[in-house]
Amino acid sequence: MTDAPGMRDLARRLLEYEADAGKASDPLESPTLRVYEKLRSSLGGFVGTTAFQSLANRALTLARPDTLSLSSAWISEDGSLRGQGEIENQFDIDNDEAGEGGIVLIARLLGLLRLFLGEAMTLNLLRNAWPGEALDDRSSQHRRKHA
Amino acid sequence: MPNQEKVRINKLPTGVPGLDEIVGGGLPEFSFNIIAGAPGSGKTTLAHQFVFANATPEHPALYFTVLGESAIKMLRYQQQYTFFDPAKLPDSIRFINLSQVVLDNDLGAVLAEIIKEVEKASPSVVVVDSFRTMVRKPNSDMDLQSFIQKLALFLASWQATTFLIGEYAEDELRDNPIFTVADGLLWLRQTTERNSIVRKLQIVKLRGQDSVPGLHTFRITDAGVQAFSRTFGLTARKRNPPGGRRLSFGVPELDKMLEGGVPEGDSVLVAGSSGTGKSVLATQFIAEGIRHGEPGIVAVFEERPEAYAKRATGLGLDLETPQKDGKLTVLYLRPLDLSVDETMQSILDAVQKIGAKRLVIDSLAGFEMALSPGFRADFRESLYRMIFALTGIGVTILSTVEVDESFTEFPFSTYSISFLCDDIIRLRYVSIDGELRKVMVVIKMRGGNHAKDIREYEITSKGVVILGQRLTKYQALISGIPIHSDESHPKEAPFQEPGIRD
Repeated sequence: MTDAPGMRDLARRLLEYEADAGKASDPLESPTLRVYEKLRSSLGGFVGTTAFQSLANRALTLARPDTLSLSSAWISEDGSLRGQGEIENQFDIDNDEAGEGGIVLIARLLGLLRLFLGEAMTLNLLRNAWPGEALDDRSSQHRRKHA
Repeated sequence: MPNQEKVRINKLPTGVPGLDEIVGGGLPEFSFNIIAGAPGSGKTTLAHQFVFANATPEHPALYFTVLGESAIKMLRYQQQYTFFDPAKLPDSIRFINLSQVVLDNDLGAVLAEIIKEVEKASPSVVVVDSFRTMVRKPNSDMDLQSFIQKLALFLASWQATTFLIGEYAEDELRDNPIFTVADGLLWLRQTTERNSIVRKLQIVKLRGQDSVPGLHTFRITDAGVQAFSRTFGLTARKRNPPGGRRLSFGVPELDKMLEGGVPEGDSVLVAGSSGTGKSVLATQFIAEGIRHGEPGIVAVFEERPEAYAKRATGLGLDLETPQKDGKLTVLYLRPLDLSVDETMQSILDAVQKIGAKRLVIDSLAGFEMALSPGFRADFRESLYRMIFALTGIGVTILSTVEVDESFTEFPFSTYSISFLCDDIIRLRYVSIDGELRKVMVVIKMRGGNHAKDIREYEITSKGVVILGQRLTKYQALISGIPIHSDESHPKEAPFQEPGIRD
């Protein structure tokens, strides 16, 4: 349920969107951190810091066995992601190990949200943090072609 | 300024079926309300219904969750209700979790956080769920009463209709200064009555509104909370006094006994022991109405609608066609934990749907059995409310009731409800010439004169058929063991003067 392919694709789209957006504003910031922070900001207010922190911890625990790149990552008390940004700056999502770690972690987090809240509400919450094009598969393909 | 108009208070829909009627047409805009009750009584669900009914992107709602239920879990469960529209999140409805603020700071910080969010969003509806958990934090610089006072003042200025949700036990209702701040206090109760759960709500106070007093039954279904007003939603409805017509029973001789039929809008009680033909007479009454273009409702408790229609077919009465044509509704109300109010709601919905003029309740004993044990104690009072409500909108009600056949008494009903009925028709067995025969008599007609005859009848393939003239050759017919007038003593059993019991 939490690792459904749909969530992985969605996570990839969000990371790609933030990778593009970050190039202009802050090229050194990791896309995973950008996506994660947006989720934390959007969901933290909604479910509370503690609830978000435990969700994120659960997602990280589920994601770790799938990729080595998350071995040094941890979730702080305020729910922020630590240890990931240091090993991951701008990366090639398709080929980079660090990129894979980001996809897996975000996919697990989205999967947990979908598990608890359902797809409709999860997408509504994401729409609050990202424009529609970031969630749209066709826009993502378009971005990849022109990258 | 003698001609200045009074301030007009807009009423907001509660989103809870039946509750608008109870609160007097809707909740006052900008009111500060407390929803109180024990855990599991439906407080959060009720607040959600209000929020989903009123929040729009232009008039958003802020829903603050505090300690207690996890916001994720709450939404996981709440979205199972049909009223929950995920599309309203987050543009129309924003959930904000304050648990960290409560854990880290005092009530002053919580108030500051609420004020910050309200000033940012300018919401029309604000919910704090649950404010009671905040008071449990020790060493708070601000007490709960002060917090609520300040919150109420702030939110009123910001033109927000507000709900504070709190867990309160029954005995906390008295002398609690917090409740004096609130404009509205809705109290939800949940009690166990033998094996069934009974939920009731009370509008303890509601400033500026003419709410319906008393305890109102409510139920929580997949559609959320549904409330059933004690007045059955009829206080706001235009009363439709009967026009003085007489309604035929479809039994010509009985119509004559009733001086032309049952006065329209009356409540008729047909009482008799098992097998005397109460249901047959009721079926003829409803079928005759349909024949005259008067749609009808039959509420059955002891047999299924198909069986009821099939039995009518045996009497030459077609109840299938009018059901298909929308002229007749046969309601089968069998669950064992119904309240009278829910039953009434079903009947009223059916009455409104087909514009029914006649209603048969077959039988009162079955009706009582279908109720939750806790409601049976109030059965007589509930019947009174129901009959008053329905006859007030012009519906003529015929109820059947089984009475124990006694050869020493002549009871009208086992419920002492004859005073609720305008007209009473009593059916009974009599022993005549070695045969068990049936007689009927009109005991009472509030609206006019009626025949005092005791008439023998039979149940034939055409229904109840009254035979010949009144029985003049017997005395003490209503005892069930009459004496032939030509004889000085009873033929079959020692005669005992019957007592008439209501």
